[in-house]
Amino acid sequence: MARSDDVEHGLPAAAGDGVFAADPEVGRDLAQVDWAATPLGHPDGWPQSLRTAVSILLSSRFPMWMAWGPQLTFFCNAAYRRDTLGRKYPWALGRPASEVWAEIWGDIGPRIDTVLGTGKATWDEGLLLFVERSGYPEESYHTFSYSPLWDDDGDVVGMLCVVNEETERVIGERRMATLRDLGSDPSVVRTEQEVLSFAGRQLARNRRDLPFALTYLFDDGGAARLVGAAGMPAGHPAAPPLLPAGDPDGVWPVAALARGEATLVQLTGGPFTALPPGDWPDPPVQALVMPLLRQGGAPYGFLVAALNRYRALDQGYRGFVELTAGHIASGIGSARSYEAQQRRAEELAELDRAKTTFFSNISHEFRTPLTLIMGPVAELRGRLAGADPQVRHELELVHRNGLRLGKLVNTLLDFSRIEAGRMRASYEPVDLSAVTAELASVFRSAIDKAGLAFHVDCPPLDEPVHIDRGMWEKVILNLLSNALKFTFEGSIRVTVRAEDGSAVVAVADTGIGVPEAEMPRLFERFHRIEHARSRSNEGSGIGLALVRELIGLHGGTITADSTEGAGTCFTIRLPFGTAHLPAGAAASRAGAPAASAAEPYVQEVLRWLPDDGDGDTRTTAAAGTGAAEPAGAPAPGPAARARVLVADDNTDMREYLTRLLADAGYDVTAVTDGVEALHSIRREAPDLVVSDVMMPRMDGLQLVATLRGDPRTAAVPVLLLSARAGQEASIEGLQAGADDYLVKPFAAAELLARVRANVELSRLRTHHARWRTALVDSLQEAFFVCDEDGSVIEINAAFTDTLGYGPEGLPYAPVHPWWPDAESDPEAHRQVEEAFALLLDRPKGSYTVPVTHRDGHRLWVTATFTDVEDPVTGRRVTVGTFRDVTAEHYAVQRETARAALSTSLSQATSLPEALSGALDELKRLWHAQDVLATVFDGGDTPALTSTDGRLRWEDLPADRRGSLADLRERPPLTPVAEPTGASVLLEHPDGPLVLWIDLGEHRPFTDEDQLLLSLLAGHLAQGLVRAHQIDQQRETAIALQRAILGPSRLPEGFAVRYEPATRPLEVGGDWYDTVALPDGRIGIVVGDCVGRGLEAATVMGQLRSACRALLLQDASPAQTLMALDHFAAGIPGATCTTVFCGVLNPETGHLTYSSAGHPPGILARPDGTTRLLDDGRSLPLAVRPGRARPEGECTLPARATLLLYTDGLVERRRRPLDAGIHQASEAVQQGREVAIDELATDVMTRLAPTGGYDDDVALLLYRHPAPLDMTFPAESSQLAPVRKALRSWLGQCDLPQDTVQDVLVAVGEACANAIEHGHRHSPGETVRLRAEAFAQDLHLVVADTGRWKTPRPELNAHRGRGVALMRAMMQQVTITSGPSGTTVDMHTRIA
Amino acid sequence: MTTPLTLTPGRRPDGTALLTAVGEIDMSNIGSLTRALDDTSGPVVLDLTAVEYLDSAGLNVLFAHADRLELVAPPVLASVLTISGLTELVTVHHVGPDGPPA
Repeated sequence: MARSDDVEHGLPAAAGDGVFAADPEVGRDLAQVDWAATPLGHPDGWPQSLRTAVSILLSSRFPMWMAWGPQLTFFCNAAYRRDTLGRKYPWALGRPASEVWAEIWGDIGPRIDTVLGTGKATWDEGLLLFVERSGYPEESYHTFSYSPLWDDDGDVVGMLCVVNEETERVIGERRMATLRDLGSDPSVVRTEQEVLSFAGRQLARNRRDLPFALTYLFDDGGAARLVGAAGMPAGHPAAPPLLPAGDPDGVWPVAALARGEATLVQLTGGPFTALPPGDWPDPPVQALVMPLLRQGGAPYGFLVAALNRYRALDQGYRGFVELTAGHIASGIGSARSYEAQQRRAEELAELDRAKTTFFSNISHEFRTPLTLIMGPVAELRGRLAGADPQVRHELELVHRNGLRLGKLVNTLLDFSRIEAGRMRASYEPVDLSAVTAELASVFRSAIDKAGLAFHVDCPPLDEPVHIDRGMWEKVILNLLSNALKFTFEGSIRVTVRAEDGSAVVAVADTGIGVPEAEMPRLFERFHRIEHARSRSNEGSGIGLALVRELIGLHGGTITADSTEGAGTCFTIRLPFGTAHLPAGAAASRAGAPAASAAEPYVQEVLRWLPDDGDGDTRTTAAAGTGAAEPAGAPAPGPAARARVLVADDNTDMREYLTRLLADAGYDVTAVTDGVEALHSIRREAPDLVVSDVMMPRMDGLQLVATLRGDPRTAAVPVLLLSARAGQEASIEGLQAGADDYLVKPFAAAELLARVRANVELSRLRTHHARWRTALVDSLQEAFFVCDEDGSVIEINAAFTDTLGYGPEGLPYAPVHPWWPDAESDPEAHRQVEEAFALLLDRPKGSYTVPVTHRDGHRLWVTATFTDVEDPVTGRRVTVGTFRDVTAEHYAVQRETARAALSTSLSQATSLPEALSGALDELKRLWHAQDVLATVFDGGDTPALTSTDGRLRWEDLPADRRGSLADLRERPPLTPVAEPTGASVLLEHPDGPLVLWIDLGEHRPFTDEDQLLLSLLAGHLAQGLVRAHQIDQQRETAIALQRAILGPSRLPEGFAVRYEPATRPLEVGGDWYDTVALPDGRIGIVVGDCVGRGLEAATVMGQLRSACRALLLQDASPAQTLMALDHFAAGIPGATCTTVFCGVLNPETGHLTYSSAGHPPGILARPDGTTRLLDDGRSLPLAVRPGRARPEGECTLPARATLLLYTDGLVERRRRPLDAGIHQASEAVQQGREVAIDELATDVMTRLAPTGGYDDDVALLLYRHPAPLDMTFPAESSQLAPVRKALRSWLGQCDLPQDTVQDVLVAVGEACANAIEHGHRHSPGETVRLRAEAFAQDLHLVVADTGRWKTPRPELNAHRGRGVALMRAMMQQVTITSGPSGTTVDMHTRIA
Repeated sequence: MTTPLTLTPGRRPDGTALLTAVGEIDMSNIGSLTRALDDTSGPVVLDLTAVEYLDSAGLNVLFAHADRLELVAPPVLASVLTISGLTELVTVHHVGPDGPPA
């Protein structure tokens, strides 16, 4: 219509109008060119060839330009104007091409000359051209071909250029690659410097978008320090190493950047002269300076990104720089937080170690000087018994306070032992009532003196209780001294009872009581109740804490009840039996009472009490507490006192001997039989054993024989006493190995003489042995001697300290008691077994093994051993030392675990994979039953991941769910140990994550374990953030590939799918494409490039573009593929691409095709049969360039479905390809009644292998004919043309004549209704008709946007008749009426 | 634009009024059909042999004149005429695809 106006311009314009009619807009501008001034002359004189060329040009929707005639006069179409010409339109029309494209004529001129000279077409892919269409030289990329144009005589007079501008794609891919590379660093943990230099290397690889880039970081003072430069020579004035804070004249705007503001800087003058140009001829003129933003804080620094002067700073460019800065900022953030976390964990561990070491050292250090104080003091007390009272008074003061200090140090040492797990307890069965009453009696005089009543109510219990006497003493003495300290009137009561299977000991007082608020902290270490009224302000606040620990070692509990002002009662419960004690720790016998520690307690208590006016004048504190002194043991004497062990079953004789020898200055220990003697000797060898011959259990002769049989005791001298006189008895005794023999009755002097002689002799004899023992005992390392069978026959103190097994248990036969249990820890047991075999076989060696301390805790020791010959016996023995390497072992274990977790995290290719891999690592590390991670991501139920993959949140027990949820309130990275496992909170990109390690049994989760878990949890959190970033990058890459994958709009009748391979793999090189050809036909392409990932995708993008352009140029599939052969040969990675290329006539269903090694298309006919499109087959691309390619053809029957695909759809391991193709055929065949798009989904789903596709899949479906979809104005005049179109479409559907007529009538009625009723009051609205054919079914929809009025009576007949006709003609009619319009939906079966 | 339809009046050999329609009949052109029928009086034979399409709007017109109409109809219109019930009121002579009234 618009053209009709041109008639007014007269005939010449009308002629031009004819030539340019194909495009009204560009045509009009062309018509206005003063053609007479060009060599071509007026259009009505143009040859037919030119007119045809112009007409093709203008009618094409693809960007094209052409040049004609001697000056190569320029023409172009609308698409070219839009994509490429820019501001040069319409100036360029009719001008010489060399003038239009003057700036690139150097590039394109020679190509055009070639075309004109040879008549052969040229082809260029992604050629970089600097065009000036936007006011500056602009970087642009073009894929184009120049083909010759002939005049009517067959001479080449011009050329046509079909061009596809690919600037966006090329630049997009380049930027994408940089962003991908920035995120591709596989290592999880890096230092800040590593992060920066990695980023720098990546940025330097894209010097087109970033001619140069600088990274500055702010220091604490706000100055910016240069930390990375890409593409910038060192020392350039534009990259000063330091930019002071707030310097207004600085090269870069530091102040604005510190506030987080991005700035565009013009690079002119001053420091910006002689800037590096990057990959361009000229240096950049602008730089975008981006802050490196930190979440919730000031920026880390900033990135200076020099800008490509050949591109405008558009949204995409700015976004690219922002993302780059974001990448660097997050890298710095990760590195810094990792470093901080690492430092903190190490500090904590160090602090913990230091604390334990400190306690242990300081206690030891105090003991030595204390001993050297107390020894001489005791001597002085004896020596100055008659001295001046003042001297004695001061001496007592020193003595008392020495005792007190010793007690304090011992308590601290006990604590450090308990902390280090080295408290050695020897549990023996006792009558708890008797022992407790005895201890209580020690305090009686002190309590009496304080004016308090003291009730001790301890009836004998039916069962013995296993206790360590030394520890129990401390428990009772502490409680009693505590009671006395805080009780001023009333009473103290000690009771022992049996109750509910436990022994219950209560210590109750009527003292000041404990305020309720203080009760919870009563047993806390170093906690003291301030301002409480007490007899003394002294105290370390450690007594009750120690009491609780000691009772814990006995498997018991202690509780306190108190009423302020009324009193306090401590109740201890100890279990009977031995089940609660560590294996092997229970002694079966009642040993000799351990040396009592009561004296310091009593001494201390007495000093609190007013004593006869002045406590300080007391002459001897021990006066009232003699019972506490060990029988027969005088005050500690000089070290030189000889030790004599007396063994006699007769009490009178034993006491007599003890008194006799003690009076003579010997240190005497008395036992009742040989067995006890043996134990005592093994514990500590005396200088002499005086033993009766006749004794129960083990007599003297047996004792001698046993001692001599044991290398450790072979040298202990023994003096036998016997009532049996006579030479034989004497000889028997001496033969057995006794050193001397005395017959009862004997004179005291004779005994003492014999003893002295033997002791002296033995001292001489054993001087060397003692020296050796002292030496061995002084070793820091544990020392042991094994005999030939591997029995441990000698150990030192460090051995006992380390493992808890003392000399009294010697010899320790294999399997040694410290071996890890074969049942509960087979792996550790096996390690020790192997090491032990090594020890027996090899002359020397070393090994590191796990062992179990006597109290059950796990140690790691490194042992070194060597074989020696015993000089006495000549037997081969093994001497070894070992040291506790538990701490080193765990440090190594931590490193190993961290490395393993790192590896697992760095190999993960997605967030879920990173998490589940990490859980597997943790499970392996702790031999856990299950490890689960709960992410509270804000959903209805938290997201659960577990090493038991089937577990769901709902499956967890309610209390477990509750405790996991509660953990969110805990501080992060702080493990919480529970009886059957441990949990920890950390950050997951989706929300808080609670990790639960289910050990599944009561296994201790030690402090070491907690530290390790804390470290690993921190590490995991870092790794997850990283995996999350990688995930996001992949999503971006896939989105990018999808964007370059296929046409944005598919022609009707087609459906396509693209599925990248499953997660471990990445995006790939498969593609599909449809190309609308100028003549109405459609090019169809499905291809598969070799390889995967973005590289394959890049190859794919080029092949796809080329194939498109080739099809547009010459719509023959075989020709297209042959040209593509040559093209692919020049692209690395394109060889062996398989392609199916076809050209379809959508009117007739006629398809010509050619296949370059591609799997055959599948054609499902409406009658249920299937055909493979396996003609026209030849080699994959570029294998034999130049070889002719065959072409196949077929006509798609009406209502048939065509499936094209890549091999990922059908190829499976260990299955012939045919089977997959057959499966795909069946899927299409069975879906022939399903809408094409739905069918595409069905096929993808049905053919997906379990676990998803492991290769890329591209799929294209077409059903012939394409659905008819038309929209027309709601006017009755439209009925005839609509009917015509529908009749024509129905013709393509190959239907019986009756059906055609039925459909025409039914659709006609629906359309008439829509026109008449739907739009009666609003003419000009539209009606939409859609008709779609299935194999055996037609689906018709007529929809309007109006509302069908309530029928009026006079219209009923008519209206009813129309609807009745529809229902009669169709199998199914559904009329849906709503506010937005009415839709008639009809189906009819095709007979 | 209306759907193409020509209506040619005439006489049968027996003198009955004859109206020959060629084209398609739908709501856009029933006016001319109504007028043509109104222009005749008495019994009239409407020859639809060359009519390819007839919709319910056209049927309405035919129902209105049912008492004086006789129809000659091609096979493509058979089902419309039958389903609408017009065949019960009006004598319909069916013709074969090309032949004279059967």
